[in-house]
Amino acid sequence: MHLSREAIVEGLQRIVGPADVITDRRILVESSVDNFRKLQNIFDVHTMPVPAAIVMARSTEQVAAILRFAGEHTINVIPRTGGTATEGGLESAVPDSIIIDGSAMNRIVDIDAYDMQATCQCGVPLQALEDRVRELGLTTGHSPQSKPVAHMGGLVATRSIGQFSTLYGGIEDMVVGLEAVFPGGIVTRIKNVPRRAAGPDIRHVVIGNEGALCFITEVTVKLFPYFPENNVFLGYTLKDMKTGFEVLRAVMVNGYKPSVARVYDPGDAGLHFSHFAADDDCVLLFMAEGPAGIAKATADGIAAIVAGFAECTRVDSAYIETWFNDLCWGPDKITAEDERIRQTLNVNRTTEISADWSSINDIYQAARARIIAEIPDITMMGGHSSHSYINGTNMYFNYFFNVVGVGPEEETAKYYLPIIGIICEETLKRGGSIVHHHGMGKARAPWVRDEYGSSYYILETLKHAFDPEGIMNKGTIFPL
Amino acid sequence: MSAVRVLVCFKVTPDFEALREADWAAAATQGVQTRYVRRVLNCFDESALELALGLSDAAARLGVTVELGALSIGGREVDPYLKTLVALGYERAARVAAGADGDIADTDAAGVGVGAAAGAAGVDGAGLDRAASGLDFAPAVVASIIASYVLRADHSDLLVLGCRSGPGDGGTVPFRVAEALGWPCLTRVTSIEPLGDGRLRVGAMVDDGLLRVTLRPPCVLAVGNALVSHLRAPTLKDRLERRERRIDVLAAADLGLDIAAELRREACVPTALETIDRRRRGAVIAGATPRDKARTLFDSYLSDLIETL
Repeated sequence: MHLSREAIVEGLQRIVGPADVITDRRILVESSVDNFRKLQNIFDVHTMPVPAAIVMARSTEQVAAILRFAGEHTINVIPRTGGTATEGGLESAVPDSIIIDGSAMNRIVDIDAYDMQATCQCGVPLQALEDRVRELGLTTGHSPQSKPVAHMGGLVATRSIGQFSTLYGGIEDMVVGLEAVFPGGIVTRIKNVPRRAAGPDIRHVVIGNEGALCFITEVTVKLFPYFPENNVFLGYTLKDMKTGFEVLRAVMVNGYKPSVARVYDPGDAGLHFSHFAADDDCVLLFMAEGPAGIAKATADGIAAIVAGFAECTRVDSAYIETWFNDLCWGPDKITAEDERIRQTLNVNRTTEISADWSSINDIYQAARARIIAEIPDITMMGGHSSHSYINGTNMYFNYFFNVVGVGPEEETAKYYLPIIGIICEETLKRGGSIVHHHGMGKARAPWVRDEYGSSYYILETLKHAFDPEGIMNKGTIFPL
Repeated sequence: MSAVRVLVCFKVTPDFEALREADWAAAATQGVQTRYVRRVLNCFDESALELALGLSDAAARLGVTVELGALSIGGREVDPYLKTLVALGYERAARVAAGADGDIADTDAAGVGVGAAAGAAGVDGAGLDRAASGLDFAPAVVASIIASYVLRADHSDLLVLGCRSGPGDGGTVPFRVAEALGWPCLTRVTSIEPLGDGRLRVGAMVDDGLLRVTLRPPCVLAVGNALVSHLRAPTLKDRLERRERRIDVLAAADLGLDIAAELRREACVPTALETIDRRRRGAVIAGATPRDKARTLFDSYLSDLIETL
């Protein structure tokens, strides 16, 4: 039976108490979008359906009860923790949704320095966990740019990746076990073990589900020894992205594991490195870390490989180290960026894809050329590769455009979605993946069948099996 | 009526917020090492540059031409900013390459024109950075360069610049330039509007509020905490269309100045750096419900403050 907004609120209040059900109109309106429609939020112009309520869950049992309630009445639920999503995953696509907010489940359950793993509730900020384990000389190894504001549940739900991924891997390489609640209030725990071969790896049903299958309540991640004193930084300038990709490939194929391996194109490099790079320079950079011997051997090996590319010119490592120390974005930088956008109507967006070594440069070149030619009012079109593997790498397109002649509510239709469309088309054409680490959200959901091809059968079956009523985050991953 | 010729002076500074706390701690004995952090526009100058563009836009709507020029003092780190300004419609873009070791100029950068003395010096100034030029704590020398450029090269009749810039933050350059030019100077400027008859309506902060004055150039406007604080961005098409416009690079000698000698006369010399501890005491308020926390906040922290008001 369809419930009124008032009845939804009353039902939630019976589960968690009135104090933990937010019905303030202003908060609900602001929560109807995430950073995908940040221009609308900045100008307070909202077009998405307003959620019925935000419910602050404080326990796994409460989450289970909320999901049972939502299932009984077929109410759409949107799981969230830190709320830093960029691809529309937290948008309320249908009226009268319930946002289940896990940010109050913020207890670090256990830090086990012997078995090298830490267990925390979904609402623990990554920065808080990292700060705690650093006191023990350890690190999570996970450092996305959103580290100061993102929470563990959301990071696992969106299949996050961090700046040191080339050494530590993505979040999927770090999660050893977890707890999740499925529709119907079914609580599942996947135990923490180093590895097992007892059938399919069911962690991957949960990791990256973006709230479209379940709500993640607890995660256990690996820990690593932390040796910042051994970090070695390397930086180079060069003129051609193709060469940059070739260097990255050579480093990976020769077996080196730097924690950071990146190449920036001239446009993107101009935003970060204009104090040492010319305006037509690409910038290539590495960081090696770990025990002293490994860090040194890694840096030496990479330096020897890059020396084989005559086009690369070494720069003072202090440039790279200093830049890296200021890379993460906290609330202060986000607020400053919002103000810049409000004043200038110059909007910055990003879209990340991945592909094999044979294709990545062609995708970069083709997408960049098309966007410059087809999209009006572009002020910067660039990007960088920041996560490399033995068989390929990612491309993080970074672009700015002036919003001209349309209101904030039309920005996505006039600029953002057409750009995403070009990037997805050029990537799919060459066999790459249209999403490297931000998640599908609702922004790239229209391409999900093309992304998966015949394997869409597996994905679709998961949805039907775990969310038969279709109450989990409608429109995310699976388009409406 | 004749066109208004505007010159905006700006400074490219290290992004001090990108420095680590440890860099400042070391600074007391070694001097602040800013070479490795990225460069940004001085925030007050960024306001000045955008206010001038707004003035130009508004004047065009009144049928008045505003000719915009931009001037900076420094090394090649300034050039990307000058190219951006050219793409945005600044018709004149110039850099004075002045350093503590004399006059240095670039000779190989595309689209860069070189003054006579700068060309004669023939030295590649790629490594020269404003932060290393000795001018950061030399407001008299900076003012001298700007005033000489206005009188000898640009002949502008409205000078707009930020009220101060780091790391010196002395705030005396606008006054010194105005004195050298013999022009009036209005400070803490927040808005500039054309009236269409050659006069300007200028808003400026004063201690009691906002002052609005009508004035006729020539004058110096020192921009303070304006609401307009970010420079607009040119499109790639704008950049392409104006990429052939040249940036003038001058040596101080082109302006009849001997910077080294002027620096020796400069009275302001930094001798020590003392860090200010701006940490504030904090507490996490405990309570079972938001109502309990609000009560604790009020009883423990706010009620006394309210009584004192």
